[in-house]
Amino acid sequence: MEGFPNLGTGIGLRPPHYADVAEGRAAVDWLEVITENFMVEGGNPRRVLRAVRERYPVVLHGVSMSLGSVDPLDERYLDGLAALAREIEPAWISDHLCWSGFGGHSGHDLWPLPYTEEALRHVAARVSRVQERLGRRILVENVSSYLTFRHSTMTEWEFLTALAETADCGLLLDVNNVFVSARNHGFDPSAFLDGVPRGRVGQFHLAGHSDKGTHLLDTHDHPVCDDVWALYREAVRRTGARATLLERDDHIPSLDELCAEARRAADVAAEAAA
Amino acid sequence: MKLSDTQARFYGLVTARDDVAAIAARDPEARAAVEEMVIGDARLSAVDRLDVYAAMYFVRIHDVLMEELPRTAAALGGEAFHGVVTDYLQACRPSHPSLREAGARLPAFLATHPCAVERPWLAELARLERARLEVFDGPDAAPASIAALRAVPPERFGALRFRLIPSHRLLDNRFAIAPTWRAGDANGAPPRAAPETMIVWRRDSAVFHRAADADEAPWLPRLADARGALFADLCAALGEKLPDEAAAARAFELVARWAAEELIVVVD
Repeated sequence: MEGFPNLGTGIGLRPPHYADVAEGRAAVDWLEVITENFMVEGGNPRRVLRAVRERYPVVLHGVSMSLGSVDPLDERYLDGLAALAREIEPAWISDHLCWSGFGGHSGHDLWPLPYTEEALRHVAARVSRVQERLGRRILVENVSSYLTFRHSTMTEWEFLTALAETADCGLLLDVNNVFVSARNHGFDPSAFLDGVPRGRVGQFHLAGHSDKGTHLLDTHDHPVCDDVWALYREAVRRTGARATLLERDDHIPSLDELCAEARRAADVAAEAAA
Repeated sequence: MKLSDTQARFYGLVTARDDVAAIAARDPEARAAVEEMVIGDARLSAVDRLDVYAAMYFVRIHDVLMEELPRTAAALGGEAFHGVVTDYLQACRPSHPSLREAGARLPAFLATHPCAVERPWLAELARLERARLEVFDGPDAAPASIAALRAVPPERFGALRFRLIPSHRLLDNRFAIAPTWRAGDANGAPPRAAPETMIVWRRDSAVFHRAADADEAPWLPRLADARGALFADLCAALGEKLPDEAAAARAFELVARWAAEELIVVVD
């Protein structure tokens, strides 16, 4: 999809690795940063981000745009994001298909939407508004979810497809989230991959999860498991190679170990795309 | 079911003081509302599925607050801190997009919480921990250097106007909090009652704090003002209790200290 070149393989920039990455010691092609961690006035976070940006392509990945909330879009947040984007010139900007606040309050989580026509119209209008405000297309990511709303009238992939077409946005396909949600809701993850429009996929996410017995939890605290690697291989066969990002938010290993796991994604993608 | 009704019901249940199972157990209407909204199955009921989100909401914020205010949490102990966070999230629901702001109102909340009766200094300890976080992400500035100040001709020094760098906080404490902060755990003696002005600031990526001495304490609020304060006024104020020459020497000493600490900028 235009505007989302295949940057290769990257990792999420996290505080334990700030110093090493700022000095160029991450053996990856690009970095993704959590937008909100850098929407500060100054100090170390912004200094690190500027240094990282001098050495690598950077993608801004947000968790608080709250695209699905019935609250008004947070204009101050969008102003801050636009200012950060002007300074950093990210390769692109992404956020999630979710809502994370209600009544002016923030839940600091990625809450699921009912997949209804009303929700679709609502989210599509907000994605369009955000894209207009930022002057660029964004990528919208599928989340891990733990419940299904009884009044949903379509599948998650049908909703994502309709959203991408209506709002003319791209999709960030989180392969681990597909796997987690498939297990939690009992659907076939291959059906999800078949269902999303391949040309709209601009990026993949890979991560680990935890098995709680009754459900899988998207914890980003383990290496990517074999099942998710297999699903990633399937995804690349369908879409071709796309920029791929390894996420790790807890039990963060050394930078070398993390980069080695990310490079495995490059090998898997090359093999799958061949 | 409308999207706004779905989100209102979901938000109300997931952020309630009690978990969804407890609410559903005592309120059949609430259980029916959950089951009307969410599909359950043999592995997880509708209530259990909402509780996954309720647990994540609380734990995520609790853990961030514990990480950001480790000394406050240690002074309270795990169970009491859990209780404080529970009360806090009901009284002061997060409203900022950044999780780092979730604890912004916790120090003020602690001052009014029942746990403050036995530990009246706890809110000040929390305020110091919070201030250190805030200045870490505060705006950058070019502090006045000693070398640059030495280059100013003596006759022009009186007209120099200084102010504090933007990444600072002034805290008026009723207790001597610094030793408790340094001890870093709950086992030390409680801080003694001793009113003090404390300054917290950032130099590059390092955050510092210290109590102001008697000469500088009255000046720090004036230096915090955007207009800053004149060196000549500092000399004059010190001159009220010191001979002129000693007052000027003391004023130079204070400015040299602030410059060495990278605490001040020169106002044009």
